[in-house]
Amino acid sequence: MCPIRLAIPEAHVPSRVQSLDLAAMGAETSEDADLLRAHVAGDPHAFERLYDRYDRRCFLYIRRLLGQARGDAAEDLHQETWISISRNAGGFDPNRASFRAWMYTAARNKVWDHFRRQKVAILTSVQDSAAIMVADPAPTPLEAVESRELALKIVAAVEALPLAQRETFVMFAQAGLSLEEISNITGAGVETIKSRLRYARTALRQALTTERSAHA
Amino acid sequence: MPEHRDPIDRAYTQAEELLDDSNSRAARRSRILGAVAQEPLAHTAPNLSSHRRPAWRRGDWLAAASIAGLGVFLATRVYQSAPQPLRTMPTPPPFAPAASEPARTSLPPAAAKTISRAGRAPTLKSAAPAPLAAIPPSLDIRPVASPPMPAPMAARAFPAEASPPPSQQVIVTAERRASPPAAGKSEFTGGTQDDSLGALGSALMAKKPAPPPPAAPLLGSEADAGSPSVQAGNLRAASAGGRLSEIETLLALGVPVDAPDVDGETALMKSIRADEPAAAALLLRHGARLDQRNRAGMSARQMATAVGDPALERAVGLKP
Repeated sequence: MCPIRLAIPEAHVPSRVQSLDLAAMGAETSEDADLLRAHVAGDPHAFERLYDRYDRRCFLYIRRLLGQARGDAAEDLHQETWISISRNAGGFDPNRASFRAWMYTAARNKVWDHFRRQKVAILTSVQDSAAIMVADPAPTPLEAVESRELALKIVAAVEALPLAQRETFVMFAQAGLSLEEISNITGAGVETIKSRLRYARTALRQALTTERSAHA
Repeated sequence: MPEHRDPIDRAYTQAEELLDDSNSRAARRSRILGAVAQEPLAHTAPNLSSHRRPAWRRGDWLAAASIAGLGVFLATRVYQSAPQPLRTMPTPPPFAPAASEPARTSLPPAAAKTISRAGRAPTLKSAAPAPLAAIPPSLDIRPVASPPMPAPMAARAFPAEASPPPSQQVIVTAERRASPPAAGKSEFTGGTQDDSLGALGSALMAKKPAPPPPAAPLLGSEADAGSPSVQAGNLRAASAGGRLSEIETLLALGVPVDAPDVDGETALMKSIRADEPAAAALLLRHGARLDQRNRAGMSARQMATAVGDPALERAVGLKP
């Protein structure tokens, strides 16, 4: 299996996605709580700042959980999530959870409510078991994404993951949440989260390797 | 131990960056912030735990459950005109003794109504309520099974139902004039407690020590040869008791599945009130109507929802 080296134009990669600064995240967390307090106190710009900080991560999380076919629903659920955050801002307790975890919990509840309304079966355990059967191919050094076409394939591969794995992978890889935070949000154990993450990566590598082989 | 980021994680992050649509994002931003600005801010909103759904908190559930329970309780207490559990007793003989009929009809309708209402309120007995005081002292009161409908109306609803068994009627006699108040009270209390049990009563009544009623066999006796209304009563009793073989036999004999009693209650309603999913399913298979309403205006479907048993709701098709 040949390794794949992908090149990406520098202009397409914002600097902030090159690495995640965990120290900065801690500062962000306390600042999030301050912004939410300011919003409750009536500061009209505090919520805007908070929104600008997290809207994209929140939207992508909802969008990937729903899948491309339900993009309109993602818009609605995203809006409902932020309205819910605004309504319940007074009840946010920074000592119990970070704003990020709180926000993802709200978003997750919206998505799950949507699934319930749409009668979407969430077969977490079965899908996790199925993922164990996926063989782990050789690591694929995907260091950059070379084109929009490949980006679409990666996103499609993510959306093809079982829901529990997809959710875990998006929260970890895209939102930058820790395993403990994901565990708190989803209610699953940390070891379960680790397993889901591992299975998700394995399945993604396999899917992308297959894709590459088909075009080679 | 922190989980290290994988190259596939970075590839996905970069893919999302590439696919980012700034135009739709800006439109989304203005729409959402505009909607949030129009929202009244809840400064004293309850705490939103990270483990709890933001839309429904425990207090909300409790409040909703309390309101629903109170509504069902009030509906049971106010809109039912007769004690339900007593009609689930073993089937009476087909014809009531003629002696009780004149005595019962000799009671003025207003007094009979008063007695019936007092019979459904256990707390009124010890307090010597006004309705009871209005009854002449020579009257003796026993639990009633059927409401004190005027005879023509009862006959219209279901003719034979107007003649309940002697053990369950309001009987006005002179022979018990001298009976001690305590005895009368305890007998009376038995009827009211059964009534206050509401929907649970049907299932529990079968286990209670029944007062003397002659337990006439349901099938293969003179009861079979009686009027269809008696067999319909048998069907309702069997439905409340969950006796499937009896239900099937009676239906095979041609007993109408939706024959109502004087309260407009069908066999299906009886089985639902008694939480007998198998009986309810069997009746539905024989064409029982879920939307037929009793005299209080309540349908079997609403009763099934009020009982809240998932197995029952599945049996009647409210849940898949």
